[in-house]
Amino acid sequence: MTTKTIRRELKFTQPPAVVWRALATREALADWMYPNDFEPRVGHRFTFRVPPDPRAQFDGLVVHCEVLRCVPPSELEFTWVVGEGWLDTRVTYRLEADGDGTRVLFAHSGFKEDQAFHGAEYGWKMMHGKLDKTLKTALKA
Amino acid sequence: MHTEPGVFGAISHPARRRMLDLLADGDRPVNAIAENFEMSRPAVSQHLRVLLDAGLVTEQRHGRERRYRLVPERLEPVRDWLAHYERFWDDNFIRLRRHLEKGDE
Repeated sequence: MTTKTIRRELKFTQPPAVVWRALATREALADWMYPNDFEPRVGHRFTFRVPPDPRAQFDGLVVHCEVLRCVPPSELEFTWVVGEGWLDTRVTYRLEADGDGTRVLFAHSGFKEDQAFHGAEYGWKMMHGKLDKTLKTALKA
Repeated sequence: MHTEPGVFGAISHPARRRMLDLLADGDRPVNAIAENFEMSRPAVSQHLRVLLDAGLVTEQRHGRERRYRLVPERLEPVRDWLAHYERFWDDNFIRLRRHLEKGDE
């Protein structure tokens, strides 16, 4: 079965060491992602706890992760597993100096089509809840 | 016009996903669907009603028999779910950017 990958190239004005801290410290991840127990070492298992959102009929979600690669300030890779293995994927960040700033190559890989089918009950509502908030923020701006 | 959440709600139940799998092999009367499940006939009918309301199946009457048919196009939004995960990350990266900008102040 073929798998699909989400890729993004992100540019930041901050240098790699600063961007690395945002990607690879527990407090920073809690600020822009979710509550977590991340540690920057290979083999460490951690979770992101996505809180419930009753308005979006979303019960909350636990993403199980394991650090696979951790090379400060340039490479971070961890697994991203949801449910009973229905979503078994992998997240990678590569950081490169870009003038005074940083270029980040992001990839979330390993999506299979049947995961979409079984994952819809978690995934869709989660995305919807987030999307709703983003749209509301955009409308206020 | 059916909305996408209707489709996702409809496939959120394992029995209904199994029904769609059965109908993917061909049209079936309600009896042929029900024999695959240990639930009561009214419960099977109720699940089929949810699938009908979501537009995922259609119902044809042949005399006294009702046959159910899958409408595969209705599963398009499910196939598009990766797009929703993409938006999830785009959304998070907006927050990452804000997080980094806070640090600059």
